[in-house]
Amino acid sequence: MKKKMLAVLLSSAMVLSMAACSGGNQDGGSASSDGGETETSSDDGGSDGGGSYTFEVLVKSFQSTYWQAAVQGIEQACDELGVKANANGPANESDIADQITMINDAIQKKPDGIGLAACDASSVIDSLGKAAEAGIPVVCFDTGVDDAPEGSVYATVATDNASAGAVAAENMFPVIEEKIKAASSSAQVRVGEVNQDATGLNIQQRGLGFIEKMIELCGGADKKVAVVGNEFYVNASKDKGTVDEKEADVIIEVGVPAQTTVDLASTEAQKIMSKKDTIAIFGSNQTTAEGVITANQTLNKLATDPEKGIIGVGFDAGTPQKEAILNDQFIGSVTQSPLMMGYECIQTLNKIANGEDVSDIPMNGYWYNKDNMEDDDIKPNLYD
Amino acid sequence: MANKKAFGKLKGREAMVLGIIAAMVILFSVLSSTFRTYPTLVSVLDISYYITLMALGVTFPLITGGVDLSIGTGLVSYALIGGFLIVHQGVPVGVGILACIGIGVLVGVFNGVLIAVMDLPPFLATLCTCMITRGLGPALCGGFGVSWPSAISADGAFRNVFKFTSDSGTVIPIGIVFMIVLVGIMSFVLEHTRVGRYTIAIGSNKEATRLAGVNVKFYHMLAYIISGLFAGLAGVAYAATYATIYPGSGAGFELDAIGGAIVGGVSASGGVGSIVGAFLGVFVICLMKVGLPFIGLQANWQQIFTGIVLIAAVLIDVIKKKK
Repeated sequence: MKKKMLAVLLSSAMVLSMAACSGGNQDGGSASSDGGETETSSDDGGSDGGGSYTFEVLVKSFQSTYWQAAVQGIEQACDELGVKANANGPANESDIADQITMINDAIQKKPDGIGLAACDASSVIDSLGKAAEAGIPVVCFDTGVDDAPEGSVYATVATDNASAGAVAAENMFPVIEEKIKAASSSAQVRVGEVNQDATGLNIQQRGLGFIEKMIELCGGADKKVAVVGNEFYVNASKDKGTVDEKEADVIIEVGVPAQTTVDLASTEAQKIMSKKDTIAIFGSNQTTAEGVITANQTLNKLATDPEKGIIGVGFDAGTPQKEAILNDQFIGSVTQSPLMMGYECIQTLNKIANGEDVSDIPMNGYWYNKDNMEDDDIKPNLYD
Repeated sequence: MANKKAFGKLKGREAMVLGIIAAMVILFSVLSSTFRTYPTLVSVLDISYYITLMALGVTFPLITGGVDLSIGTGLVSYALIGGFLIVHQGVPVGVGILACIGIGVLVGVFNGVLIAVMDLPPFLATLCTCMITRGLGPALCGGFGVSWPSAISADGAFRNVFKFTSDSGTVIPIGIVFMIVLVGIMSFVLEHTRVGRYTIAIGSNKEATRLAGVNVKFYHMLAYIISGLFAGLAGVAYAATYATIYPGSGAGFELDAIGGAIVGGVSASGGVGSIVGAFLGVFVICLMKVGLPFIGLQANWQQIFTGIVLIAAVLIDVIKKKK
């Protein structure tokens, strides 16, 4: 009996630890079934900036929509600059070893530069060292490599999550501005934010980016803001001019699910949306945005008019979120732009080849709604 | 006759769990005005469907004295594959659902062979299939998250089986009716059929059962097949209730079901347990999942509190037995 209880306890501990590790990476890139290679070139080679360069580009996985968008951006830049880029990538984002082989092969080809979206930041370090020895400049995109050997990575092109979160606040605020202006400490209004976790750097920055921008905008309307809910976000925004909950005109309530699952994310959203003073809610990644949508299936409170219901804003894409925007449940969402990241990667590589100085390029989040979902620079980013 | 005695005890157990549920509902309702609303009830039921289905299945391995840890990652994996077939391969929704359930049964058979025929410890065998199923779905579907057709799309009718939205917009959680029917059926299977009696017998004394001429291997295996079948059904319920199935998730789901079953009086050492108990136990878990956020408890405290409540629930049982 005791042994068996011990076994169950042990198993629980092991499985829990597995669950804890599995939380992260549900943002952005995902993989598709098989690898492949594409070649992009342009006839007017050499017309822009001197040489007809050849670059090797490695994405995290080849055929998912997210990375196809990146390849599209790479092609655009190649066309504009008259350079050549070979894009390659493993079948799956978790095929780390395959990608290492591909990087090493790329180095052997002695290109004018390498663009890299590393599957695993620590595993590529040796290869980056080899590239540096061979004198091949590397530009990282989508994902940075923090511990890259000196002189190997010339620049990193990645989404600035804090500013991406701020984009959500900037687009939400005008819609709820009248409600905010009418708020007072005796008639408070509540803005919700559901964050997948309080531990992942991307989500932390994005969540705080939204909060800080919302505090700033409310301050502009002469309203005092309190941040309540999850301890991390409350403490991290303490020095941003927040006040006590009782004195506040506007309350930002941050919900974080106990585990990263869609059911708990939707419970957090429902908890906030059930409150009578809630006027808007932001789901800061695909999981939590869908949590808001799931909660709304029973609550039926989301609307695009603040007089009629709660204003919803999401992040990233996926079919449920796109449907929510088309059906007037979300006013819009923020997307990262793999297309622009691919584009800027080639632009940067070209500059390096031309001997110009380059620096890191923080990418914006892009606002999309019903009106611009089909635009050429937005649509490729909105994976299903 | 030991079984009859145990059965008598369980009735008290079920009453106690029902008492815990009532106490939790009252507590949460007092502490949170938004908890005592109809949409919250619906969301408790939403969460309960897939956990209930897992619990109905896993009760069988638990009663044999084993465990099935593969159901959590399994259900996500099956739903991922089913959804992939529907969304990316264009198969009809019905076929996708059957695939989801069918793969669950196959994994159940695999578990059964490992444990009943090859004598692997259930904990180890199903921990391994837990890992296998966790990788299997993403591997077969290219690592991409899948959203089953939404309720408003043409193929979304299956979602109405669990949550029916009337024309006026009222949501009717009819899934609970099917759950109660299934609880009735599985309760009958466990208590009044050969399958159930032998499952309990294996958990009480496997050797004696074998000596009595029962095909122990077959019935032992069947317990895991039932668990796999219900994991497959849970996959369908999960896909029908929530938007997107994410690859790599699901680890830890099985603990909600196993924890619920044990709270409901299913013995972790085998031989004792009831379906109704497991069903009620699941609601203790679901109420905590929904209620604790509603009363303003933050993530970390929710987990601490859940752990304490589960210890208390099992402790009451242990103390009662000692008396």
